[in-house]
Amino acid sequence: MRMKAKLAGSVAGALALATAMPAAASEDMTDARITVAMTETIAGYNPYGDAVVLIGSLWCKVYGCLTRFDFDEGQFVPYLAESVEAIDETTWHVHLREDWVRHNGDPVLAEDVVHSIDRMQNDPGSVRQFVVDPIESSRAIDDLTVEIVTHEPMATLPDNLSLLTVTSKALHDEHGSDMYREHPYGAGPYRLVEVSAGEHMILERVDDHPMVSPTNPQQIMYRIIAEPEARVTALANDEVQIAQGIPPQLVDRADDLDNARIEFANSVEMMFLAMNPSTHPWDVPEARQAVAHAIDREAIVQALLGGQATLLHGAVGEGQFGYDPDFRTPYEHDPDRARELLESADLVGVEIDFYTPVGRYVQDRQIAEAMVPMLEQAGFTVNLQTPEWSTLWSNVQSGGVPFYYMGRGQMLDPSRALHQYFRTDGSPRLDFSDPELDELFDAERQEFDPDRRLERMQEAIAALTEAAPAHFLWLHQLAWGVSEGIDYTPRPADRVDGWDIHVRAGD
Amino acid sequence: MLGYITRRLLGVIPVLLMVSLIVFMLMHAAPGDPVSMLISDEASPEDRARVAAAWGLDQPVWVQYLNFLQNAVMLDFGDSFRYQQPVIDLVLERLPASLELALYATLMAVIVGIPLGIWAAARPNSIVDTLASFGGFFGISMPNFWLGIMLILIFAGQLNLLPSGGRMSWGDEIPRLTGFLTVDAVLQGRWGELRLAFVHLLLPTVVLGTAMTGIIMQLTRASMLENLAEDYVMTARAKGVRARTILWLHAFRNALVSVITIIGLEFGALLSGAIIVETIFSWPGIGQLLIQGIGARDFPLITGLVIIYTALFVLLNLLIDVLYTIVDPRIRMR
Repeated sequence: MRMKAKLAGSVAGALALATAMPAAASEDMTDARITVAMTETIAGYNPYGDAVVLIGSLWCKVYGCLTRFDFDEGQFVPYLAESVEAIDETTWHVHLREDWVRHNGDPVLAEDVVHSIDRMQNDPGSVRQFVVDPIESSRAIDDLTVEIVTHEPMATLPDNLSLLTVTSKALHDEHGSDMYREHPYGAGPYRLVEVSAGEHMILERVDDHPMVSPTNPQQIMYRIIAEPEARVTALANDEVQIAQGIPPQLVDRADDLDNARIEFANSVEMMFLAMNPSTHPWDVPEARQAVAHAIDREAIVQALLGGQATLLHGAVGEGQFGYDPDFRTPYEHDPDRARELLESADLVGVEIDFYTPVGRYVQDRQIAEAMVPMLEQAGFTVNLQTPEWSTLWSNVQSGGVPFYYMGRGQMLDPSRALHQYFRTDGSPRLDFSDPELDELFDAERQEFDPDRRLERMQEAIAALTEAAPAHFLWLHQLAWGVSEGIDYTPRPADRVDGWDIHVRAGD
Repeated sequence: MLGYITRRLLGVIPVLLMVSLIVFMLMHAAPGDPVSMLISDEASPEDRARVAAAWGLDQPVWVQYLNFLQNAVMLDFGDSFRYQQPVIDLVLERLPASLELALYATLMAVIVGIPLGIWAAARPNSIVDTLASFGGFFGISMPNFWLGIMLILIFAGQLNLLPSGGRMSWGDEIPRLTGFLTVDAVLQGRWGELRLAFVHLLLPTVVLGTAMTGIIMQLTRASMLENLAEDYVMTARAKGVRARTILWLHAFRNALVSVITIIGLEFGALLSGAIIVETIFSWPGIGQLLIQGIGARDFPLITGLVIIYTALFVLLNLLIDVLYTIVDPRIRMR
């Protein structure tokens, strides 16, 4: 019931926003087109067939998802849903709004939601099953109400529903999966114009949609430019107006451009050192604690990241659910203590393989190289391993990597990520098991009162940090290049939503 | 001639079979797997198994290979894991971009490399020869990823004269007839778009063609020097034939056989070697597609592309062999 009250309040907020900025007559709306240079590839037309976070958020912009994260409010708010109501611990009722229609004029119906849950789970091209994995069943109660039953109590369902792209059952029944290419009619504020797999995606503003304002660009091209130098150059000569992922060595150059500037956004991707406790020496808590004490995070952030990262005290930072401003990690940099811990466990000189991705995260290899002497000073003998990303990622997923530097994104609400890495049987990636922590994780997920859930989450994160199956390092502050004619504040979690981009008059 | 060409074409079949088998086995032997690259960071082991089953990756390797082979006979290389479209559609959509780039790079190499090579050979050990040889070595030894980034920084970034990448500006696209933008623009009388297509082609063409220019220049020079020292040249000189005629009609024609060979081989290498250039310039060709496929462990896409590269290479070689008979009538196909 509390969930309903919370989300209903947000509905009022969203509607107030919409009425404050009504879609103006088309002649008042900007006809500006902008290009966003992005780093990751686009799979194609199937909205369930792309695992890239940014692309997933674009599909939500076209088709609409049931909820969305409001970065100003700092919480999930209704989107296609008018309210999301927890009836009991495992039963939810989602009420759809009546006033939004698809781009072809069709209404968004409860049967569409049921259909979309099925497509996400069973579409042969779907790679986003994780979104609906917790759902046991769903059914349409009436045209605008859906009942969702989860396998177990799950207070974080609205988070999952923010990733559920709602496509049309009627169009799918009529056209099959061709609908994604030929009839991609959603109810979001931007309609799909074109997808060129591996190259670009073009969206066009829906002028009478309540979520758009006259200054939102009329068309947005999301274009893949893999090379960072090429992204900055494209920004410099106005080929693109927003450029994702400017690496630290290019930040000054981009910021010095006459026609562009750099904006930073805190990432919600925790960077961490994972230590698999089912392997030696990581089965010894002192070894894990020694690693945590050995790493001089501040020096790395200053020297290699240009100061553009926020040190973590626990798994989350400011703006993420579960953040506790008063909590401090017990593992500050203390090389002497690190050495003592290794000596106490009789592990001085122990040989370890340390794996890092190369080119996946900002300065990843350089960071790992800087960590090697720190670990060796503590008494480890380190073999740095730098496999190609596909190889490393595959091995991490199957649990074959004992010690690695890694990031985990999609952590606005960290529940799914923490369960995946640190709950018993969450995944083979760490093979970590701690019954007491399991209880804490379950408690936070089953607590429907947001305030009490926050306490549970903070408690779980504190215990997790202490147990140190991973050493939490930092959140990158990601640099985005933005043209001077554009008002845009980058959001965490790799979102580039059209309604957040405003073209200045005369530009 | 026809019999020869038929025999050569039939000979392609076992080559393609072997290539497909080797590529398939190597991909499966290599570390990393496509499911890991397909699924989300958040996928559970059950999701992983479901995706593997959906793409037939839970089958034994030999079953996967036979399934692939059965369809490949009909030019169906299956659907790309990453892009969920038929591989052949993806390739056909992007092949013209790669071919157009490689053709213009070859054209540049021929137009610059051959005259330079002849000029250098005509004046051995002169300052012209020294400069041309230096230029040739420079072109051959220049890493194209470095040259590409430098040209982007200078001509797109600093001078803002040329685009940093892509094939055409957004909004200036023209209806696709052949897929070759310069040809399509001419066919439709779209001169503004023709200019834009060339503007976009300029930097990647220079980067891709630089090494080939150096190679052709060096080979032409060496081949010309060899022919200019032959008895028939001395005889021609003794008979009072003009130096220019000896150079172009006698020595160059004989030198042309080896130059054609290297042009053909290099054109094939340009197609596969364009991978880096296409990535740097965001050029939507099959080289970029291949690098994306390798990163994603997209088995059907990689296998399909390698088979197509092989087929193109073999056909090019056949074309070169046919050209020999035109350039040098003494050569007969048997």
